[in-house]
Amino acid sequence: MSMIFGSMRALFDAILYPFRELSPLVGLTVLSVLFGIGMLVVLKYTSNQEKLDAVKRKIHAGLFEIRLFNDDLRAIMRAQWDILRHNVSYLGLWLVPLLIMMVPLILIVGQMHFHYGYRGFEPGEQTIFTVELKQDQGSKPAARLDVPEGLSIDAGPVWIPAKRELSWRLEADARGDYQVGFELDGERYEKNLQVVDYIARRSPVRPAATFLDQLLYPAETPLPADGAVQSIALKYPPADAGISGWDNELTWMLVFVVVSVIAAYAFKGPFGVTF
Amino acid sequence: MQRQRTYPTLLLGLAVMALLAFNLACGRGEAGQRGQRVIVLGFDGMDYSLTKELMAQGKLPNFSRLAAEGTFTHLGTSAPPLSPVAWSNFITGMDSGGHGIFDFIHRDPKTMIPYLSTSLTRDPETFNLLGLEIPLSSGGTENMRRGQAFWEVLEDRGVETTIIRMPANFPPTGTASREISGMGTPDLMGTYGTFSFYTSELFPFPGKEIGGGNVYEAWEENGVVEAQLHGPSSGDIKLTTDFKVYVDPQDPIVKLEVGDEERIIQVGEWTDWVPVEFEVSAMSSVSAMARFYLRSVRPEFEMYVSPLNFHPDNPVEVISTPEDYAGELAEASGLFYTQGMPEETKGLSEGVLTPEEFLAQAKIAGQELAHQYKYVLGDFDDGLLFYYFGNLDQVSHMMWRSRDPDHPAYNAERDAPFAQVIEDLYVEADGIVGYTLDNMGEGTQLVIMSDHGFASWRRSFHLNNWLKENGYLAVRDPNLKKDPGFLVNVDWSRTRAYGLGLNGLYINVAGREKDGIVAESERQALMAEIKAGLLEVIDPVTGLPAITKVYSRDDFEYQQEAAIGPDLIIGYAEETRGSNESASGAVPPQMFSDNTEDWSGDHGMDHETVPGILFTSQPMKKPATSLQDLAASILAEFGVDEFPLVDQAE
Repeated sequence: MSMIFGSMRALFDAILYPFRELSPLVGLTVLSVLFGIGMLVVLKYTSNQEKLDAVKRKIHAGLFEIRLFNDDLRAIMRAQWDILRHNVSYLGLWLVPLLIMMVPLILIVGQMHFHYGYRGFEPGEQTIFTVELKQDQGSKPAARLDVPEGLSIDAGPVWIPAKRELSWRLEADARGDYQVGFELDGERYEKNLQVVDYIARRSPVRPAATFLDQLLYPAETPLPADGAVQSIALKYPPADAGISGWDNELTWMLVFVVVSVIAAYAFKGPFGVTF
Repeated sequence: MQRQRTYPTLLLGLAVMALLAFNLACGRGEAGQRGQRVIVLGFDGMDYSLTKELMAQGKLPNFSRLAAEGTFTHLGTSAPPLSPVAWSNFITGMDSGGHGIFDFIHRDPKTMIPYLSTSLTRDPETFNLLGLEIPLSSGGTENMRRGQAFWEVLEDRGVETTIIRMPANFPPTGTASREISGMGTPDLMGTYGTFSFYTSELFPFPGKEIGGGNVYEAWEENGVVEAQLHGPSSGDIKLTTDFKVYVDPQDPIVKLEVGDEERIIQVGEWTDWVPVEFEVSAMSSVSAMARFYLRSVRPEFEMYVSPLNFHPDNPVEVISTPEDYAGELAEASGLFYTQGMPEETKGLSEGVLTPEEFLAQAKIAGQELAHQYKYVLGDFDDGLLFYYFGNLDQVSHMMWRSRDPDHPAYNAERDAPFAQVIEDLYVEADGIVGYTLDNMGEGTQLVIMSDHGFASWRRSFHLNNWLKENGYLAVRDPNLKKDPGFLVNVDWSRTRAYGLGLNGLYINVAGREKDGIVAESERQALMAEIKAGLLEVIDPVTGLPAITKVYSRDDFEYQQEAAIGPDLIIGYAEETRGSNESASGAVPPQMFSDNTEDWSGDHGMDHETVPGILFTSQPMKKPATSLQDLAASILAEFGVDEFPLVDQAE
């Protein structure tokens, strides 16, 4: 499983590399259009297009019937029941392509979120760097944080026994793509921290090696399964996805959905797809 | 033929468009002098004598440079010389009789209930329908200052104005191109600032409510302190939001969690602004922000939380013009205190903060403004820029005794280390002036002014006690141990005059006051009698007169708003001030007392003893001698000859 997530990271790093210095809207638009077209292709070959077309015609017929017999309550009720029935059939016809699309969608969205949902730190900004341990240590662990030049430890650690957490306050002094080291009982764990202004994969959490954790936080290789650390987290500021003032982790998603739907509508004719 | 007509038509069209554009650029009325740049920096409470003294010592090189190249003089202040009054004089070019601000506190003669003078909050109007409150109006806040603000005259002539933190300007007028409201802007609770203090040791604070703040019990249990931030009320519901403080079992450091926000705080550290949301319903919430200060974790947990300030991105009340300007400033130069008077003077008075902690907090507030000023100055093209600095005033109030060994509350061991604090702030102000001189551009007129000066406040005069002792005021319960103020112990059936506000004295006039007993025809004679009596009062400790001036509101140049003010305004002798007790409407048992409060410097005295300062980088076209003249002088720089306009003044 780690190999799949690793491959996705490498793939998206490569795909998005040409867009890293451009406005987020450029890369997002290109990817959204490609995604919209990709979904059309998947739909064309995994759905029963003839049946889809027929069901859509029946739904239209029902709507037409309602307009035509708008003074006949029984006819309207019958038409509405038919529309409902055909809608269920329509959704049923979408089921297979949706299930097939679900897997790549999750993998793609996961990677895009960590490229476009967060921005890198600016010099002078601070963040809280939190390490969650697997076992309660009894007393404050004798852990050490190894920060490279360009970052500094501003305060900490705070030990919270109830959460098995150690937290530091770090400050970005200079731009760079850093690996922060955490050392405990002779073992060293690393976490990526970016003080850069270009688009890159940013990982708020280095997860445990479980499937669910990797699915939720696929932006960084998981921690060793046999290590003492459960997760290492920090908070990146939300990005605006190129829309000034819309600083939110999900702004990119709005752009992605709107552009991919427009692309799907624009290309459904040339690709001969109905939906 | 058709083609030949096209070119003249095009030319004509272009000419019309050019005329329209010119007209738009020049605004609605007659054209003022565009391209002119005037920067006015207001340093609240900057004292003329002290400034002169420090300049002579060479400690204020930029002020000295300004004085050498331009002008330096004292600036007459308002009577009484209180900030809301003084700044209103400046804004409107009128005295209290014209703008209607006479003190911090006024009273409603119909109810005899005191209220804050500068703004009035109106509750939403509702209609009760079968138990449901149907809203009819949204309520809001009204600026009680009357008269036209001088920058409106410039805007009417197409000159852009940027007015940052002008006191007595909340809600902002909405007439400047850019405005942020200043002194008078409340916190989220609607007060001038209500801090919260969380402690596991309530012993020093037997009452939960203390002046300017609330004390809450909070203790560590299994390594975590769980408490609530207390917000305003929404209907019958008191809004709160939870926060947790995880205390390190070994070191003096904690992790704070409020909503999605988290901070690590070491003992003795202040956080940056922490955004806070108060959930009103599933669909709506109120945005605010606060700074946290961790005082100690052992043996007692002690944490101060600043008053809940409006979040500039989403303020509950309008605090800027245009409304998103506050957010723009925050985006460009960082979050900032939106409450009008951010320095935590009450925290120091109530013993919640030490002098060092108070100064650290005041420094944060001052640095925010200085940082923001650099952005605003850089963004200023032409027209008028006004920027206000209030730090000096608030710190002078609290630390003045440290430079006055004769002050009754002076304690050498405690106060001597702070002897230079006020001077240091003057030096910081000098740095701001230097930065401005270096960056304001050729031909800019720089005006540096203050609303009043400062003096040591050593002795308190209890006006209501004097009125009682001289038979003008009677009390309901002479044995009342702790008078709560608000005039509740006044026996109106036997009272002819009463004191309220720092300098105000009112006659209990029949038909005007709720239970008035003095006939209007007797008012002048009574005023004259009281005035004569007050001017003869001698402080038994100093052997000097306690009062050097008594003004009648009938003497004001402007009279349109005079009726709401006090009948007499007391000008206390230098180093004497009206007591806080009398100001709040209490009747204290003594006539004089030493001022032993931390609030040791003041200016609520005879206005001639506490003038402000006025520097200009070039001689002004129309020199000003007082705050009331200054707006007209500034307008004259733009070619405007008349202010206040006659119709406005009337």
